[in-house]
Formats: sequence, structure tokens, C-alpha cells
Amino acid sequence: MKYIFTILTLLLCLHSCSQSPVTVNQVNLYSERHYEVDKIQYDRFQELTGIKVNVVKANADELIQRLKNEAENSPADLFISVDAGKLQKASSEGLLQQIHSPIVNSNVSPDLMDINGFWIPITYRARILVFSKDRVNPNELSTYSNLIDSKWENRILVRSSTNAYNQALLSSIIANKGIEEASEWANKVVNNFARDPKGSDRDQVKAIAANQGDVAIVNSYYIGLLMSSENEEELKAGNSVGVFFPNQGEGEKGAHINISGIGVVKNAPNKENAIKLIEYLTGVEAQNNYVHTSHEYSVNSRVQGSEISKSWGEFKRDTLDLNLLGVYRKQAIEIFDKSGWK
Amino acid sequence: MCCIGIVLILLLPIVSLCQKAFESPHNDLYYLWDSLLLDYSLNTLYLILIASSVSLFFGIFPAWLVSTYQFRFRNFFDLTLYLPLAIPTYIMAFTYSDLLSYTGSFQSLIRHHFPLASDIVNQDYLQIEILGCILGFALYPYVYTAARVSFGFVGASYINMSKNLGLSNNQIFYKVLLPLSRPAIFSGLFLVVMEILNEYGAVKYFGVNTFTTGIFKAWFSMGNEGTAIQLSFFLVFFVFLILFIEKQSQKSARYFYKANTNKIVLQIPSLSKQVFIYLVCVLPLILCFVIPFSHIFMNSIREFSTIDFGHLFLLCLNSVKVASFSALMIVLIALFLLFVEKISKHKISTFLNQVISLGYVIPGAVIGLGIILLFTQTPYFKSIPLVGSFFVLIYAYVFRFLAVGKSPIKSSLEKQPESFDDTAKNLGLSPLRILRKIHLPISGMALVISFIVTFIDLLKELPITLILRPFNFDTLATQTYEFAVEEMLQKSSVYSLAIIIMGSCLLILLKYITNKQINAS
Repeated sequence: MKYIFTILTLLLCLHSCSQSPVTVNQVNLYSERHYEVDKIQYDRFQELTGIKVNVVKANADELIQRLKNEAENSPADLFISVDAGKLQKASSEGLLQQIHSPIVNSNVSPDLMDINGFWIPITYRARILVFSKDRVNPNELSTYSNLIDSKWENRILVRSSTNAYNQALLSSIIANKGIEEASEWANKVVNNFARDPKGSDRDQVKAIAANQGDVAIVNSYYIGLLMSSENEEELKAGNSVGVFFPNQGEGEKGAHINISGIGVVKNAPNKENAIKLIEYLTGVEAQNNYVHTSHEYSVNSRVQGSEISKSWGEFKRDTLDLNLLGVYRKQAIEIFDKSGWK
Repeated sequence: MCCIGIVLILLLPIVSLCQKAFESPHNDLYYLWDSLLLDYSLNTLYLILIASSVSLFFGIFPAWLVSTYQFRFRNFFDLTLYLPLAIPTYIMAFTYSDLLSYTGSFQSLIRHHFPLASDIVNQDYLQIEILGCILGFALYPYVYTAARVSFGFVGASYINMSKNLGLSNNQIFYKVLLPLSRPAIFSGLFLVVMEILNEYGAVKYFGVNTFTTGIFKAWFSMGNEGTAIQLSFFLVFFVFLILFIEKQSQKSARYFYKANTNKIVLQIPSLSKQVFIYLVCVLPLILCFVIPFSHIFMNSIREFSTIDFGHLFLLCLNSVKVASFSALMIVLIALFLLFVEKISKHKISTFLNQVISLGYVIPGAVIGLGIILLFTQTPYFKSIPLVGSFFVLIYAYVFRFLAVGKSPIKSSLEKQPESFDDTAKNLGLSPLRILRKIHLPISGMALVISFIVTFIDLLKELPITLILRPFNFDTLATQTYEFAVEEMLQKSSVYSLAIIIMGSCLLILLKYITNKQINAS
């Protein structure tokens, strides 16, 4: 028995040795983002302001659940998600508070801001089409709706409908065109699938390179990551596809975009620090970090895209109220299920 | 009383999950039930069928050959065939899909050196059948371990008697060894099934919708955590059904092989048999350990210049810290509960012991939810922000992995005749002294085995750590997962490698102990 107590005591000592000291000047984040660039941003913020950034990273829905149950006792100051729909969910459940910061307002393009003021975008990405340079003439591509054409039969690649990016895309189609047209779109796109939905966005590009399909629906920054990969084969795969922004024609609403966004938690214990962090993250220095390491688009109009994303050219983005991505999510899932989009 | 108290404390997350399940509306459950669950359940059964077949094939045959024959490298195979247990299933799946993808090493190699064959290997490998095989690769050691120990215990008397009756080696295997080892093999296979039912990351990546996909669809996509809990309870019911069916079918048979304690004399195989033996032992070793390990190792070397060793060391320390502390707690609690069950002989304590094993059946993320509900909604705990503390994290681990830690201790205690306890009682020993003077010395090694097995599982644990961890707390498993899920497998490799090396060292130690036990018996 005494051995057990000795081990327990040793473990407790080990635990207390590796504990960081309690910091008063801090800000606590519940974040769905776990990219390498985030750590760089938080370290730099601490260097500039002396405010320590504490992070818990998990799935957005798990974090929302944790926030909801912790209620006024939550230690969290900020909630970060990679989907506007999840931020809308958090705000509609009363978990976020509106913030007013002239610095943030001057940093962020007004058309990307939440009309209700509950969340602030920190980056955005477009859901674009990529196509085989060998087998597809870009003139054949035009809109998301065009993907239902029978000429694309057995040629379209996309990941599964459990993925939040696809749910957001279909929600935007419901918001723009109504449920019936969205259902028809999903049904017919499923008929044109080259294979059952699976894998990640990068896998869809690899499948084009492997001649398993011709056109894929993917997020823009994954193409940037593939085109800057150190793996020669991935680089080849990235360069074998062309990038196309749908819905750019006259009268069209523009390519569907989604944001990575941040919201201040309702009972944030360190609200001032939280706002300072948002101001930093939307500022020029932090936005440059995002753009050049993860190839996302900047929400700050003073910051240009990475060389790779600039090479794709400018595009018109859909200015839909992004809260609707959350509002129509459930209908989108039902449409996916009925259409057989796995 | 103390025992009931501990059990009740451990059952609290189940209580809060039940409460939430009954409160929630059933619309989403009906929706899922009508439209998807049949498909999801059939996929699950198919996946279980494939992975179980692979596990049985890779588990039973090498175990039989290693237990029966003397051949070169026998001890080496006996040791290394356990090692895939150190590789978490999601790492195995991500590694294989990376290897087999169009830009992966396998297809690139063929394209460069055998261009004519490149079209043949250019296939879509993200299929349910391939996933089933990969899960089998990662999980077969559960069957191997159980079968190996059981074949070792059967003893020489049965084998010699069968030989005298004119049975060939193959007949002895099919007619004697296999039926006698059925309960052990089933217990190994049961763990394989549990792991498959809990798998989420790999099945999602492969686009395979299983029952667990349904649970997470209800929670994450439909925003209805109540339905997710209701579905988890269906899963629990399904698992109990399997256990019940197996128990019923075992009732007709009785197993008395433990009386045979003569050791099996290893036979020298003929040359042709040796070829067969090497083939059967090398195949799982290469597919399930050498290939994934080499891929991860090579990726780590490529990343060597960018490795932050300070960070790596910190993550190793974090993983070891929580895993060792929790494993120790689990061993102590398991020992206490099982000892009370043995001493008291109350049916209620047997029942309670079975109920607290529920934690192993419910998906980790749902347990996380139950714990959050418990510590934020119960009036007594509500005012203290406990979620996000090490206390709650370790409590969740204990709840989840108690069943794993209990199993070796249980089998050791069961082997000790009741007459020991009765005699000790008649001699006036208190229960505590019976534990100290009789059971602890005899079951000492079982406690160490229990600690190691639980520690390895905790090292690989992901969903509970993700949702309940304190601020800025990363483990090797969370870091691996974060890189892998962002499709940066190369960057994740060094952290996976650390898990695999640590797990492998412990498995080698475990093997050493179990071998000693087999030899001693």
C-alpha cells in the first residue's frame, strides 16, 4: 500500500511542477481552429500586449454544448468557429454578446460583418470548383447550378454531406433559390457523382489527378496548401487542376464563401482583453500571417492574398447574410439525406 | 457501503445522460430511424464482419502456431505480433489512406518504376472493405493476446490424449484447442467490436456511415444532443444483446481446462510446415506494424529539422502524467470493487460491477457530454467551475476505462479458489487483511498488467481529452489528431511515433510478464 501512496505523491509532484503559474492578465478561448498559424498569432499577441492566450480546441458543437452548460460560470471569453452557421447557432442560443469596437469596424470589410453584431469574421474562404486541365474546358463551367447538367455525369467529386462546408453550401443555395430548387440541385448533382462522397477536400483533387473524376467542389485554401506542398506528388496533383470561381456572370450572386469567425462569450470574465485580441487578429499584421500560411482570404481590405491565391484572380463573392447558413442547416441536411448524398 | 458509494459516484454520468435523453423531443430520432438508421446499422454490421474476420484470421492462426511449434524467431514473433496495439486505429487508417492515395508512396513508386502497372493500382481505396481490413490490422492483437494465453493454458494432457486417439495436428486445433478457447477468443473479439462501434474519425474519412455516424449526425449536424444520447443507449442495448447471446450459447458447454497444468511440448515442424508458419506470422507483422511504422518513421525523419523537441517533450510528459495517474486510480478502484464482489458474494455487487462497465460501450464524446451535464447542471457542483480541470478529466477516464482495467484483475481473482477466503475468514482475518495477505501477493502481476493495458489505452485516448481538457493542455494524441484532421499527416508523424514507441515498450514489458505467467502455470 505504501508503494501506491509513494507513486501517487510522485505523480502529484510531477503534476504541480508542470503547471504554469496562474496569470491574471489573460484571455480564454474555446476554438474550433487548430491550424499552426493560430499559435503564432497568439504568441505574437502575448508578446505585444502581455496578455496570455489560453486555448481549448475541440469541435464547434462540443464547445457550444460546453458553453451552454457552463452558462455564467464559463471561464471562456471568446468562441471561434470555422463556420458562420455555428456562430449563428451560438448567438441564437444566447451564448454571445454584441461588441462595438471602432478598430474592428475599420479593420473588417463591412459586407463581411454580422448584421446583428454578435460575431466578427477573421478570415474567409470560397467553396470553388477545380477541374482537370486535360479533360475540362473552363468555358464549360459556369455556376453551381450548372453542375446538374447531364454532361457532368460520372464526373463530379465532392466530400460527404456530414461535412460542415457542404452543409453551408447547400444552405446558401436554399437561402438564394428556395427549398425546391435546392432539392432538385442536390438530387441531380448526386446523379453526376463520379464516386460515393468520401475523403477530404485534398482527396478530391488527388482523385482528379488519378482520373477518377473531372470536376471537384472544394475550399479554396486547400488548393493553396496543395500547391505549396513539399511533397512533389502533391504539388503535381495541385498543378494538374485549374481553379474556377462559380456564379461570376452578370446577374449571378457570386461564389459561396464562409468565414472563420470569433464571438465574445456572454459572460466573458476578460471582455476587454477579448476585444483587444479581436482587434489584433483583424489587424494588418495578423491578417498577413493568416493569408501567407494558410492561404485563406483576408477580411481586411488593406491586406492582399497570398501569391498563389492572387494567381487565381479576383472574384465576386456572394454577399448573402451568413447567419442564414445556420438557419437553413437542418433543411440542408434533410435534403442531403433524401438525395442520397452520403 | 463504501463499494456502493463508489459505484454510485461512477454511475452519475449515466444518470445525467438518462435525464437528458428523456427530456429531449423524439422528432429527430424518428427522422433518423425512418430514413437512415437501417442503412447505418447494416454498414456497421458489415464493417464488424470484415474487421472481425481479419482479426480472427490474424489473431488465431499465429497464436496457434506460436503456441504449438518450435521454430526460429518464434520468440521474436511472439513479441512483435502484439505491437500493432500501440498504433491507434485512426492513425492506422490515416496512414494507410495516405500510403495508398494517388500521391502516396505506393502508387508513386509503381508509376515511376512500373508505368504499365500504374493503371491497375490506380484505384479508389477509400472503400468500406479496405477500412474493415485496416481496422482489423489495428485490432487483431486483442484476439491474438486472448488466443495465445488460452492456447498456452490448455496444457499438454488434452493434446496428448487427442494424439493417442489418432487426431492430426490440424484436427487437434479445430476439434480441441479452438472449442476450448472459445470464451477467451470471444472476449478478445468483443473488444474488437467495441472499438469498431466507437470509431468515428476513420469511418468519417472513408465516407462510411456507421451507427456512430448517426449519433454524431444527431448531435453535430442536427444540433440535438438528446437524440445522440438516445442512440448511444441503443448501442449499449446492442452490446448487451451480443453478450447475452454468447452467454446463452456458452451455457450448454462447460470449460474445465484449467485443471490441465502440464506444459505443451513444442513440436519441431517439417520444412514445408515451416514455410507456412513463417508466412502466417510474417504477414500480420508486415501489414499491421512494419508498413505503418516505417511510413510514420520516414515521415518523422523528413520533418526532423522542424521538430520542436521542447514541445514534444512537454506533450510526452502531459500524456504520461494523465495516463499514469488515471491508470493507477483505475487499478485501485477496480481491485477494490472486484474484491468486495468476491468477499460479499452479493448478487447486487456483481450487477453493479457489470453496470459500471457501461462506460466502455458509450462513445467517448457522449461520455464527455454526460460529464459536462453532470458538473454544470447538478445544483451542488453548479457553482464550482469544475469542467476543464484535471479532476474531471481523470474522473471521465476512470468512468470510460474501468472495464479495461477490471478485466485482468477479475480473471486473476476468479482463479483463486473460494476456499482461500473461507479459510482466512475462519482464521479470523479481516477483509482488508485477506486482501493484503492473500490476494495482493497472488494478483500482483495482474495489477501490473491491468495498469499497462489501461495506460496504453489512455495514451491513445482522444474524444474525452478533446472535450474536457483544461486550457492549453495538449497530449500526443490530440496533437496527432489536429494535424491529421487538417490533412498534414507528415507533421503529425513525430507525435504518432512517440505514442507508438511508448506503447510498444510497455507492450514488450507486458509480454514479458504474461510469458512468465504462462510458464509459471
